[in-house]
Amino acid sequence: MSSYPRALLRALLPVPLLIPLAACGGSPAAQDAKATAGAAPGFPYSVTNCGVTSTYQAPPRRAVAMNQHATEILLALGLEGKTAGTAYLDDAVLPAYRPAYDKIKVLAKEYPSREVLLGANPDFVYGGYSSAFDKAQGRDREQLAKSGINSRLSVEYCTQGKVGLDQLRTEITEVARTFGVPERGERLIADEQRRIDAVTARVKDKGRPAVFVYDSGEASAFTSGGNGIGNEIVSLAGGTNVFADLQDTFGDVSWEKVIERKPEVVLIYDYGGTTVEAKKQRLLKDPALAQVPAIRNQRFVVLPLSSAVLGVRVADAVESLGARLHPDAA
Amino acid sequence: MRLRAARAFTRTPVVLALLAAALAASALAGLVLGPVRIPPGRVLDLVLAGPGPRAGGGAFGAIVWDVRMPRVLLGAVVGAGLAVAGTVLQALVRNPLADPFLLGASSGASAGAVLVIVFGAGFLGFAGTAALPLAAFAGSMGALVAVYAMARRGGAMTTGRLILAGVAVQYVLSALTSLVLVLSARPDQVRSVLFWTLGGLGGARWSELALPAGALLLGTGSLVALARPLDLLLAGEEGAQTLGLDTGRFRAAVFVLTSLVIGVLVAYSGAIGFVGLMVPHAARMVVGAGHRALLPVAALGGAVFLTLADLIARTAAAPEEIPVGVVTALVGGPFFLWMLRRSTRTEGVVG
Repeated sequence: MSSYPRALLRALLPVPLLIPLAACGGSPAAQDAKATAGAAPGFPYSVTNCGVTSTYQAPPRRAVAMNQHATEILLALGLEGKTAGTAYLDDAVLPAYRPAYDKIKVLAKEYPSREVLLGANPDFVYGGYSSAFDKAQGRDREQLAKSGINSRLSVEYCTQGKVGLDQLRTEITEVARTFGVPERGERLIADEQRRIDAVTARVKDKGRPAVFVYDSGEASAFTSGGNGIGNEIVSLAGGTNVFADLQDTFGDVSWEKVIERKPEVVLIYDYGGTTVEAKKQRLLKDPALAQVPAIRNQRFVVLPLSSAVLGVRVADAVESLGARLHPDAA
Repeated sequence: MRLRAARAFTRTPVVLALLAAALAASALAGLVLGPVRIPPGRVLDLVLAGPGPRAGGGAFGAIVWDVRMPRVLLGAVVGAGLAVAGTVLQALVRNPLADPFLLGASSGASAGAVLVIVFGAGFLGFAGTAALPLAAFAGSMGALVAVYAMARRGGAMTTGRLILAGVAVQYVLSALTSLVLVLSARPDQVRSVLFWTLGGLGGARWSELALPAGALLLGTGSLVALARPLDLLLAGEEGAQTLGLDTGRFRAAVFVLTSLVIGVLVAYSGAIGFVGLMVPHAARMVVGAGHRALLPVAALGGAVFLTLADLIARTAAAPEEIPVGVVTALVGGPFFLWMLRRSTRTEGVVG
């Protein structure tokens, strides 16, 4: 069923009609267009996200999540029943969410084409990376809005300056609010905060080892700059990102700079086509890096890249990195 | 004609001496300048102290000896090699637009590298850091062999067939690379594939210098020895045959030799454009078209040009790096056009 008639309906039906007494619709389309009567106080809800203002007359019932961190946020909020499809994992969803995830249709291994996306008949599309709404593929938020589909992009991709726990709180709060389950969002945030606070308290009086994030790169090093959540994770776990002065989420730096800044620990992001072992070998076999403390002492820590994005794994990442940076502080 | 040849002959040693001095200067600048500031005096001390671990010189020593030095050397080797290969190919196919990548070497290298990056996790694990150069070399050799096989017909290898076969093979391989990228590559893989298509010297290491340097010396040596028959080729097909050159066989032999050189260079530096196309013409404008003088001048000129271009690539937008291929075209292009305007020599390669 195309979503076009539904958009038309929504446009034609005067809003007052949609509220309490509209629980007796006829066609499925009319059913869809109505808020479940009285179930969601606080609607219509308007939110501006990444420069796009969306108004939700009712919580989404057929959401599509693109990218892993968007998918996991929905699952962490217990919204699998409201999710019609997912797409493009970076690795695998957290084991705790596996059963719920397996019940949801996977639209595509990577990004679904526009047709496949519309074919899932979504009323809300949630993208984790800006590439989820690629204009060239006809999936931009403007186009979706024309089809009557609301959308949201992770605030990580429209934050000027540093991304940190504030943005994580915003993200979870607004998503929970959009689905009319604000209390679940508060619980999730409190849980993340409690776990992070425990780690930061433990490493408070320890030294802060210099950490170099190695994402990838042969001729130059692709690393985490000072603006991404990765930088925040390193700080919270009791380390110092040696490229915190790089005004970007990620960036290319020359090996010269890596040698000069003498990192004591290398944090390898694990994802995609290059194995951790291959990345370690790249660093260990380079004579130019032989004198770098982290390489000399072979102090490597590995995190899946999926935990270094704005999602529900931030606490996991801080816990695991904190334990590796300060094993004695456990 | 004779007068000009004589003048070029006396001119060549002077030109070579000037280029050698320029190469030394640009190499030194390449050691001193970089994203990390090291005082020139300190660099000189480190260079004179020799390689190996130095007390107190830890980070700076590693930067000068293990990052900048191999990079400068690789730049000189690759620049010289590409210029020589371009010079020879222009004579071989008698076309001023021929460059080392005309015959599919770079698209072959990219395709080989891409296949290994995207599908060859096992091979990468097995061969380690040598996997990519190996794959790129295999790809570029494969492409050149295919071009060679298609261009040969009954022992004759004409220039037109070579160019057509080269262009067709390039299109097919580029399409293959794009297909793999679109369908199955991840972002990190796309970045490493870009390196092969744009070229760069950032991956230079001591352990990987011997092969390209050896290929360059052997290749250039043999080609200088073949200077006379190369000159004959410029006289045109019939002229060369009248003068007793078996053009088909000679062309095939030189093609194989040049391909090997190009394959090795591309395997370590990707496809750095412009050097192999323009440096030979610039060299011809200075010393004329006789290969005995032209090849050494082109080699040194290419070395100077690429070390300088890489220096700009590393420092102009620091801390970011510009791909060196962008610099070669942006800086070399206007310079070449200026030379073209003021040069009265138009002899050399005729289409």
